[in-house]
Amino acid sequence: MKFKLACTSLALVLAGCAQTPSQPVVSDVAKPLPANVPAWQQGRSQDLAASPLAPHAARLTAVPAAEIPLNALKLPPGFKIELWAAGMPGIRAMTRTDSGKIYAGTRGIGRVYEITDSGAQRTSRVLVDKLTQPAVTYHNGALYVAAIDKVLRYEGIDRDPNVQPADLTARFNLPPEQHHNWKFIKFGPDGKLYVPFGAPCNICVPGEPYAQIRRYNADGSNMEVVARGVRNTQGFDWHPVTKEMWFTDHGRDWMGDDSPEDELNRMSRAGQNYGFPFCHANGVADRDVRKGNPCDGVTLPVVTTGPHAATMGIHFYTGTMFPAEYRNVAFVARKGSWNRTKKFGYDVVTIRTDASGGNARIEPFITGFLDTQKDAFWGRPVYMLQLPDGSLLLSDEQMGAIYRVSYGR
Amino acid sequence: MAGRAVLRCGLAAALFLAGPLAQSQQPAAPAKLPLCTACHGPQGNSQVPTTPSLAGQPKLFVENQLVLIREGLRQIPEMKGLMDGVSDAEIVELANYFAAQRMVATATGTPDAAKFQRGKALAGAAHCGSCHLPDYSGRQQIPRLAGQHEKFLLEAMKQFRDHPGPGRDTIMAASLYGLKDNDLADLAHYLAHYR
Repeated sequence: MKFKLACTSLALVLAGCAQTPSQPVVSDVAKPLPANVPAWQQGRSQDLAASPLAPHAARLTAVPAAEIPLNALKLPPGFKIELWAAGMPGIRAMTRTDSGKIYAGTRGIGRVYEITDSGAQRTSRVLVDKLTQPAVTYHNGALYVAAIDKVLRYEGIDRDPNVQPADLTARFNLPPEQHHNWKFIKFGPDGKLYVPFGAPCNICVPGEPYAQIRRYNADGSNMEVVARGVRNTQGFDWHPVTKEMWFTDHGRDWMGDDSPEDELNRMSRAGQNYGFPFCHANGVADRDVRKGNPCDGVTLPVVTTGPHAATMGIHFYTGTMFPAEYRNVAFVARKGSWNRTKKFGYDVVTIRTDASGGNARIEPFITGFLDTQKDAFWGRPVYMLQLPDGSLLLSDEQMGAIYRVSYGR
Repeated sequence: MAGRAVLRCGLAAALFLAGPLAQSQQPAAPAKLPLCTACHGPQGNSQVPTTPSLAGQPKLFVENQLVLIREGLRQIPEMKGLMDGVSDAEIVELANYFAAQRMVATATGTPDAAKFQRGKALAGAAHCGSCHLPDYSGRQQIPRLAGQHEKFLLEAMKQFRDHPGPGRDTIMAASLYGLKDNDLADLAHYLAHYR
């Protein structure tokens, strides 16, 4: 009762303001850490203080293939999913070399995996470990490994799998914060390496090195900031026709079960602002960090991709194995929510739009990682990689596995 | 008196949990168990105040910590090299075993009332119960705190606060930021005596 009254009077006070202030107003819950509050709890209002919601546990031990309930998964008619490789705890984004080796990064377990396909089966080994949340990408004969505090380049790794890496760290000017700074890295059609630097908080006014996407020359020189106001992008790809970069971005937590949603954004040119911390999703003003006209000058998303969905990798399909209507369609993996009373996501969806991002339509493609009746999940799909035959690999961070999706005519 | 109450409580819990089904599902002692119990005590109930009890810890918590320790991401001098060559499957066996054991609370005396109350207030303010659960029994990747060795809890919290290095959870470092040694001592006293 008392609480309701307080809310009403607050609303009256807000409504009574003649003008919204031009300087950002930062409420107590969004004040910078440290304030004796865990990073993921920051931005949580008092009425949510007793919430038992907490990030889901990663599993760091190898899951035997027999314990992966693959037959729970559902795909559109004609598509088939199989277990392609297992036993790689924490596996995230994958990259493929000229000879067909797959390398993949992780987060907490600090490893880079190397997966060799002999046709009938796959074997894996740890290429490098003890890194702080390493991501990988292969470009022009070299494997790039980017951790939060390190960038390594394995030149000619296809010829010599035991080649010693060159340490490029000093050229990348990496900021130290770990929170939301795990990487996804990829080279664009311009030959530049794109690297995200997430906001080191749930909600705050981030310092200059954060909440942005940068690009570098392949040797780490000529750094440019190409996007700002990006809270936590976990994947990007370039549109096969327009060559524009599209990227996912996670919405903030503790503002309710249904808002703000995650985003799929389109970068039509460098230098745009995507709204964080003032403007979320498709124009939702932040509750804790406020300013007048918070969405002015903000590039709004192509489409929002669901509340707390943890939207991860995006892949534009360019193969010929899938039916023609999948050509240039975006496949997007949603790892699934933690900051929501009822779980959401845990699937792969297709997003169809016109080339400039209009008329977006989201449809389920792979479901079944989440048991909606029990509100329990077993797998967390994160990234896709297209093989030369047009089939798609999908990594599952929870199961430490890679699945292969194919279409049987 | 308090001791007897604890005993009765524990017995009731054991009777409740250890029905015929639970008994038949008690995992057998894993081959690598002596590696652990030498320091962590029989069934993982440590007799050493600075060594944590593993009995009754969540399975995933034990698994993940053993992996981090084996990989050198979490460094524990006493355990250096100990996990070398221990496979993931063996780690899962150990975790299953410890999760199925009953933790015997180590603090049996009457708590210091003032210390206990201060610790309780601090635990509330820091939202310890939202991850570790309101009864501090832990879940998933998050350890049980209730009934753990007081001295160990204090040392572990100091480590989280002062040395947030590799393998140390950034969330825990942030949770304890700014707390003084005597605050941590109050928290440790409260959690060790929590029933």
